[in-house]
Amino acid sequence: MDHFERQLTQLMHGDREPAAFEPRHRDRLRAGVRARRRVRAARRAAGGVLAAAGLCLGLFLWPHSDVRDEPSAPHPWPAASPTGGTAPTPSLSPSPPPSGVTTSAPPPTATTAPDVTPPATSGDTASSSPTTTPTATPDAGTTQGAAQGSSTTSPPSAPATANSSPSGGASAGSSATVDSAG
Amino acid sequence: MEQARAGEYDEFVAARWSGLFHLARLLTGGDRHRAEDLLQDSLVRLWFVWPKIADEAPEAYVRKVMARAAARSARRRWWGERPVEELPEVAVAGDMSAIVAERSRLEAALALLTPRQRAAVVLRYYQDLPDRQVAEVLGCPVGTARSHAARGVARLRDLLADVIEPVG
Repeated sequence: MDHFERQLTQLMHGDREPAAFEPRHRDRLRAGVRARRRVRAARRAAGGVLAAAGLCLGLFLWPHSDVRDEPSAPHPWPAASPTGGTAPTPSLSPSPPPSGVTTSAPPPTATTAPDVTPPATSGDTASSSPTTTPTATPDAGTTQGAAQGSSTTSPPSAPATANSSPSGGASAGSSATVDSAG
Repeated sequence: MEQARAGEYDEFVAARWSGLFHLARLLTGGDRHRAEDLLQDSLVRLWFVWPKIADEAPEAYVRKVMARAAARSARRRWWGERPVEELPEVAVAGDMSAIVAERSRLEAALALLTPRQRAAVVLRYYQDLPDRQVAEVLGCPVGTARSHAARGVARLRDLLADVIEPVG
């Protein structure tokens, strides 16, 4: 500490003005204490209100237990990407890895389609009923009254199916049936 | 309990008022009104911590509060510019000794320092605190406190050259 610093110290201690603690100082000090106390109370009240509001907001936004959080449906993928499928596409379903051939058709199911194969001989149904062909009886006079209602009025020598079947293909089978029956 | 607390507090304030007020005047550069405001604010703060530090060092607490508040005074709005009816005298280089002669020369010189330099010089040479305690009171590193004090003293050396005669 040099001479100037010592002189400076003496000046600071010597230049001391006597000041007494007056009643106005006391009153002002009390007023300052009351004002600061009000400010502190207001800050504490504001802090309490903010804390309560924050707690209520937190409880309001808290997820309730009866509502389950489940993952939503997977996002829909675009039908056709402009890049031609170069980017890897994550697959969430247990499908086989993608190959070069696009298989959009469902896999074939076994024994579900009905057999629509037509019968080989459709004309046999007409020939398979030999009972529809009336047979000629020798005593035609006794059964004349009954013969009027019958369609078989031709003599017994004539084949019965010659006039009744218009188709030739079917008539062959029919004639054979009649022949076998007669 | 409250009465006893208030009694002890009043006794302390009445006993230390003169010394604390002088410290406040030095910290504010001789401004009496600012010194009273600074001391009142510091003593109000002391009231709320009085039960904790009444038996320890209440004067050191007030000194720290005042020094820090004075060092921050440049950033406080109510200690900024105040409107006056007449323009104050403008300080010029050749008229510095006249200004010092009108007022208390020491306080006028202290008023020309920055708030941190003034606080460091007052704590160092009026309170006789070492650099480490000056830094602790101001809340800054020791080197910074030492720098503030050295620059403040160098400025005062120029301002008070005619007041303090050199040795020899």
